[in-house]
Amino acid sequence: MSRRSDLLRYLAARLALAPLMLWLIATLVFLLLRVAPGDPVVALLGPRAPEAARAALRSQLGLDRPLPAQYGHFLSQLLQGDLGQSLSNQEPVTEIIRSSLPASLELGLVALLLAALLGLAVGFSGIARPEGRIDLAGRLFGIGTYALPPFWAAMVAQLVFAVWLGWLPVGGRFPATLVPPVGTGFHLIDSLRAGSLPQLLGSLRHLVLPASTLGLLLSGIFANALRLNLRRALGSDYVEAARSRGLSERRVVLHHALPNALLPVLTITGITVASLIGGALLIEVTFSWPGIAFRLQEAIAQRDYPLVQGIVVVVAALVVLVTVAVDLLVALLDPRIRF
Amino acid sequence: MPPIARLIGLPRPGCHSRSQPWRSLPWRRPSLLLSLAVLCGTVPLLQACQPQRPGGGLVVASRSRIDSLDPARASRLSVMQLLSALGDPLYAIAADGRIEPRLATALPRLSADGLRAWVPLRRDVLFHDGSRFDAEAMVFSLRRFMAIGTLGYQLSDRVAAVRASGPHELELQLKRPFGPLPRLLSAIFLTPISPTAYRAHREKPLSDRFVGTGPYQISFFSGQQQRLTPFPRYWGPKPANTGLDLVTLSNSTALLGALRSGEVDVLLSGSLEIDHQQALGRDAAAGRLRQGSGPALEIGFLALLTDQPPLNDPRLRQAVLRSLDHGTIERRVNLGLRPTLRQLVPPSLPGSSPGAWPAYDPAAARRLYREAGWCNGRQLRLPLTFRSDVPTDRLFALTWQAQLRRDLGDCVSLEPTGMESTTAYAQLDKGLFPMILLDWSGDYPDADNYLTPLLGCSEGSGNRCRAGGSVLSGTFWTAPGLEAELARSSQLSGADREALLRRIQARSAAGGPYLPLWLVTPRAWSRPTVSTPEFDGSGRVQLSRLRRQAPEAPTAQPPTAQEAQR
Repeated sequence: MSRRSDLLRYLAARLALAPLMLWLIATLVFLLLRVAPGDPVVALLGPRAPEAARAALRSQLGLDRPLPAQYGHFLSQLLQGDLGQSLSNQEPVTEIIRSSLPASLELGLVALLLAALLGLAVGFSGIARPEGRIDLAGRLFGIGTYALPPFWAAMVAQLVFAVWLGWLPVGGRFPATLVPPVGTGFHLIDSLRAGSLPQLLGSLRHLVLPASTLGLLLSGIFANALRLNLRRALGSDYVEAARSRGLSERRVVLHHALPNALLPVLTITGITVASLIGGALLIEVTFSWPGIAFRLQEAIAQRDYPLVQGIVVVVAALVVLVTVAVDLLVALLDPRIRF
Repeated sequence: MPPIARLIGLPRPGCHSRSQPWRSLPWRRPSLLLSLAVLCGTVPLLQACQPQRPGGGLVVASRSRIDSLDPARASRLSVMQLLSALGDPLYAIAADGRIEPRLATALPRLSADGLRAWVPLRRDVLFHDGSRFDAEAMVFSLRRFMAIGTLGYQLSDRVAAVRASGPHELELQLKRPFGPLPRLLSAIFLTPISPTAYRAHREKPLSDRFVGTGPYQISFFSGQQQRLTPFPRYWGPKPANTGLDLVTLSNSTALLGALRSGEVDVLLSGSLEIDHQQALGRDAAAGRLRQGSGPALEIGFLALLTDQPPLNDPRLRQAVLRSLDHGTIERRVNLGLRPTLRQLVPPSLPGSSPGAWPAYDPAAARRLYREAGWCNGRQLRLPLTFRSDVPTDRLFALTWQAQLRRDLGDCVSLEPTGMESTTAYAQLDKGLFPMILLDWSGDYPDADNYLTPLLGCSEGSGNRCRAGGSVLSGTFWTAPGLEAELARSSQLSGADREALLRRIQARSAAGGPYLPLWLVTPRAWSRPTVSTPEFDGSGRVQLSRLRRQAPEAPTAQPPTAQEAQR
């Protein structure tokens, strides 16, 4: 059987398993939320609302129905692509996700880009003199950024660049004095489409600090991964063979060693993207970035069951998609991969 | 030299100059220098691009996001604050505590049996959509609120029916006489909404719009940002500013930094950490900011579980009431910003009873612990649950633990445990917490809104309550005749009512189901170029009075309520 058909079979298997995985995740979240202590009605009404008022709201929200009935309703809605309504404001969960997911994606993608640029530059620069000063500094950089507590780094960055120096905004996603652009939800793209320079600069100003902080924290992973893989590649037989053929060192590194060293980095990128979708919580909270992780945290605190379930299912679906896409990309780029 | 070194621009071996070590660094490369130059140029450019609001409006920051603009869904203080700028209640509580008609023209006229009330309404009021405000609009709003309002029970527990008894007269049929009716009608969640705009949302909320009668109308809404522009056809005094942008910043540090850096003009204190409030107070004293404060309507207290050991022993409860050094808590925990409280009703409300609860008295406490069988080689281990997501709670627990160890260590030992607040609230009525730290703020400023939720008991016998506010607060305490006194207090008014409210508090202090701790004073800060924030009697900043003005010379910091009391 050809490699192409193997690849297609692998893709089909992964995609076929995705609904099963999503169902398992949705069921798990549904059950965990109901088992966890706390009551959405109490969160909404406060602890001292009369029992009659609590019962009325519980009935209005459908929380008085038996658990299997609630679960059945949730699944039937999910199959129709309806994630329900938020308990706190009755807004459709899909609308809430649609408004907050682009914020997280925008932050995550810019941070990832910065992390990749910085991390790869640091990882690459140490190769010149293994165990030299630059290499040592790069290693320290990698370990340091990896070990840095995100909330601490974010607060320090906020304090220095926003409060003391006043260069950048303390938080938020858009200047309070402007109305955000309408469109995709990605403010950079929407500002460009609207042709509004103040909106674009306003979006950039708010993006710089959270994206740089997150990018800095992630860059160590890239730096260390590239450094290790590049060093391994430079010591391999095919690089020696390339050198012995009289190729220039620039060509050996850029055309032979680097592409091979970047393959594992691509896998790491995929994992990082997946974790970024829901994992930038501390950065989002510190910088008041209205992303999906921030909404998830609020929803958990309010015991907003449909919103938590909806966000988790959507994030899980995105993680599945990203990991499948990265697997495919690696398989396409690396002919050694077998399925 | 390895070729790779040449690739990234390292100098050849032997070319290192000892006198110029920087020459060996990779950023010697022009491309890297260019990148640095671009970076250095971009930051000031971005800094210079801070957009200004057209017309010079003000930016007001707070911590809580706004999920819905619908008064029927309003339950949080942040939403009430916003609604107070967008809508008008029938009555308002002035800063000095007086009740002032707003959309009403006079106080309600009551029938002889007190079961009917007629409220005359203004005739010159328009909704933001241009439709006219009248009694039918008020009836529509109140009925809708009773049907779908999150706090609908506040009205439907007391009002049986509403109707328009005239084009500009509202008639309320009460379930029982209710003295503080004007105070209830001052609640901002009862603000009228346009029947025209809400016709399709009679039985469901409308979250992203608000069409009311207030001085501002909403021109942009998202959870994190709202833009308010003055309503040109407002019936009352025009706002002193050209508009407001309300923003949400999710943590206390960000809020503090935003005000100090000039990113926002006004900061509301809701959920601002106590040390940050202190820092802002210092800035205000030095003339770098202006500070305003309002009537304290939020109370902090301990709820004691009275129907299970160990605190089912009244002597132990009395011992606990005398074991807390309020002064130490005020200094160490509240940094002098939250006045000590020894009653359940905030002092700004009629019926308050300062000093109803006993003061700190370690000698009397020791005697009571001994009488209950402790101290003589037996140490009472007293569990205290605090909300782990409220920083002050943890500090209180640790401070009190240390104070008890110092003063009464041979008799009692405090065992603090943290629990997330939502989890704790849901378990209050299950009797799981021998002692828990809580707070409470009435939905409208009246003593009834403090005593009934904390002491109410619809079903009980002797000192044990089985259903009602007391159970929901986690104390399970009542006293014979107390429920009847509470009901009677809500039907009275004037001096008789105040005397009864004080008597109820005295009985509660004797029973010991609660230990009042402190009052939370609402504060707001503004930049020196903005007027000092002013509060109304409901503890909300009057946003329409904020205006830009010239900075003043530094003035002394206004005294805290506690200092004023002294």
